[in-house]
Amino acid sequence: MEATIDSLLLGFSVALRPDVLLYAFVGCLVGTLVGMLPGIGPLAGISILLPVTFGLDATKAIVMLAGIYYGSQYGGSTTSILMRIPGEAASVMTCIDGYAMTRRGRGGAALCIAAVGSFVAGTFGVIMLTLVAPPLGAFALRFGPPEFTALLVLGLVFLAYMSATSLVRTLLMASVGLMLGMIGIDVMTGHFRWAFDIPELGDGIGIVPVAVGLFGLGEILSTPSRTVTTAVVAPRFRELLPSRAEWREAAAPIGRGSVLGFLVGIIPGSAHIISSFLSYALERRLSKTPEAFGHGAVAGVAGPESANNAASTGAFVPMLALGLPTGPVTAVLMAALLIHGIPPGPQLVTEHPNVFWGFVASMYVGNLMLLALNLPLVGLFVSVLRIPYAYLYPLIVMFCIVGVYEVNHSIVDVWIMLAMGVVGWLLRKFDFDPAPLVLGLVIAPILEMSLRQSLVMSNGHWTIFVQRPIAAVLLALCAVLLALSAASLLRRRRDWRARLAAEEAGEQA
Amino acid sequence: MSNTGHIDRRGLMIGAAVSATAMSLGPASGPALADDYPTRAITVINPFPPGGAADVVARPFASVVETIVKQPMVIETKAGAAGAVGAQFAANARPDGYTLLMHIVSISGFAEVDRLFGRKPKFTRDDFIPIARLIADPCVLVVNDQQPYKTLQEFMDDARKRPNALIFSSSGLYGALHLPMALFLKAAGLQVRHLPTAGGGPAVTALIGNNSQALVSSIAAASGQMKAGRVRPLACFGATRAASLPDVPTMKELGFDIEYYLWVGLFAPKGTPDAVVTKLRDVTRETVRTDAFEKAMKNIGQDVAYLDQAEFKTFWDADARRIEDAVRSIGKVEG
Repeated sequence: MEATIDSLLLGFSVALRPDVLLYAFVGCLVGTLVGMLPGIGPLAGISILLPVTFGLDATKAIVMLAGIYYGSQYGGSTTSILMRIPGEAASVMTCIDGYAMTRRGRGGAALCIAAVGSFVAGTFGVIMLTLVAPPLGAFALRFGPPEFTALLVLGLVFLAYMSATSLVRTLLMASVGLMLGMIGIDVMTGHFRWAFDIPELGDGIGIVPVAVGLFGLGEILSTPSRTVTTAVVAPRFRELLPSRAEWREAAAPIGRGSVLGFLVGIIPGSAHIISSFLSYALERRLSKTPEAFGHGAVAGVAGPESANNAASTGAFVPMLALGLPTGPVTAVLMAALLIHGIPPGPQLVTEHPNVFWGFVASMYVGNLMLLALNLPLVGLFVSVLRIPYAYLYPLIVMFCIVGVYEVNHSIVDVWIMLAMGVVGWLLRKFDFDPAPLVLGLVIAPILEMSLRQSLVMSNGHWTIFVQRPIAAVLLALCAVLLALSAASLLRRRRDWRARLAAEEAGEQA
Repeated sequence: MSNTGHIDRRGLMIGAAVSATAMSLGPASGPALADDYPTRAITVINPFPPGGAADVVARPFASVVETIVKQPMVIETKAGAAGAVGAQFAANARPDGYTLLMHIVSISGFAEVDRLFGRKPKFTRDDFIPIARLIADPCVLVVNDQQPYKTLQEFMDDARKRPNALIFSSSGLYGALHLPMALFLKAAGLQVRHLPTAGGGPAVTALIGNNSQALVSSIAAASGQMKAGRVRPLACFGATRAASLPDVPTMKELGFDIEYYLWVGLFAPKGTPDAVVTKLRDVTRETVRTDAFEKAMKNIGQDVAYLDQAEFKTFWDADARRIEDAVRSIGKVEG
């Protein structure tokens, strides 16, 4: 413990040097912007700025690049809440209740809650990273393909809590998403599936173009066909802040989101993407008023926003403790260290304590900076809504196209986004919720891969899923959740989902 | 105060016009003459995700080239289908020297995989003019620290005793880390199951987590884990022992005629004018001799292994035969 504090003090002595502070600030600022721009996520932001770091020393480079990563999780919420455009995959869930809050005139409050939730979760994540990184890294390694499969099955079970529409509509959308996720090269046999000779489809349909198209473009396309009311014109400062009741509603979800997000984030294999989905579903499962979700529930913003921040910090655990990447972003960060002559590996902390602890300490500082950066800007961001839609929307469409193109320099991605925009408009017309579709698309390829990897490991025996303790526990949890739902169905108790179905039936009659 | 109403057409057109103008302000491209090449920015396609094998070489390379030709050299990432998307893009690019490709050893395998599946190859090796090889990292076969094997012989004995019981991970089917293992398994006549993953990082993660027992990796990528004792090197795929691993025997010493390098090379599309190719070769030769480039390669754990066009061509032809052989030995996988 004392050694940790000594090391952390060393870290702060590095992180608080004016030049390092400056680069941390630049990273956080760029991250916020990158998160806000639709399409351009942390991966694109970091790769664009990677060459800029060549002239810097390793500490400054990693501090700045990491700042972009966790800063983007703050910025991602802004466009989701105000315009229903997910800046990147992790903020899809924020679109739903965040945007609903904006339409009720509580956009400022939603932004504040997102910023504070992100700060709490980010700081919690760094504290955990400081104290228990090595044992947690060892734990993360026990998540092999079978455990990952079980976790994703749990994600599928949670789908039922994902949407403000009836169970039938939710599952329909999820099935479409899962089918879209089947497009691409079969990882085990090398066959092209549904690629129609377009090599860009070999890696499947990207999540970002689909999310930006379905949510952002869909919303924009549906605007001209209805009377637009911009209620937030001259927001008063008092109205920007969450009320006492809203804070109370947000507190527990922020706490749960932080813990859940961190745990999911440390698992290798891009699990952090599903952290915000899991958190949203968890909050709805625990909520006393599940029907409020989708219509501006505070918990639906606080939980997922905290979860994705904690997850992005959690993703550093395997990278720093073991030298293993959890996903594409940490892989680029490791490459950045490598380019500066620091091979990432288990010995990073002993061989380069300045870099390691300077980096950890900079995250404490960075999270404070982001809070200071984001809270005062809430008023400014909300004012963006004052721009008449006729000027605002074409600009947004442009940013969407540029952003989506920038990720892979792929024009196919742009076409996918535009097509999904039309689909998103149709879904809105017919009252389908696109969130389960996106979750299906996220889960399908990684579930398929981990399931088939598991079966390679077991030589085809399905028993591997009950022989490995973590996988067995997760699957048991799925069974319990399903049993609870079935029980309430058998007792013919109409729960909120049945009421939603009845409402939809009533609308059509 | 609230602002109610439909979007009117005039306002929408103005907004749309502003956006369209902003988007069309790209770089203008004029006619290129081979003599004064380059007169504008050169684009180098990186066919892998940022920070991948080609990227970490291409970026320091470009920063030195820029100082020599006094024109920007831009790295454009076109990742997808394990490097096939970027390669196909470069193969179809205008052959004027302004679009080049930085690719790795696996460029030789795509056409053979297509043939295996009865598909018409979208591009072949003939679509590219090799310009230079920049680095060549011999691969190393490693096992994780929970395995008892101290030598390749012990590993082989156990694998022979329990066919299809051991598992090796790779960066993906027919990928750069799958091929050398396939060459070795074929030569040794062993049955070891294959666990494909989504890249080099996940392949190492699977090994460290003991979800696989063996892996062929580049020396640079495995060096951190080797130093920490989490993985143990059993054999190298170089022609001679690697300087950083003097105690690890080569496959040749152990009786297998296998060589495999993760090399990175620079290519131009077929049809690029000779004058431009000559200029590119001169610039590359100058670049690899600079201290800045050598130091950048040292940092990523590599030595410059430069081969000019002629030698690179000979090397590539021999290497491609090995790769095609490896693809055929893997064959079509029944899923």
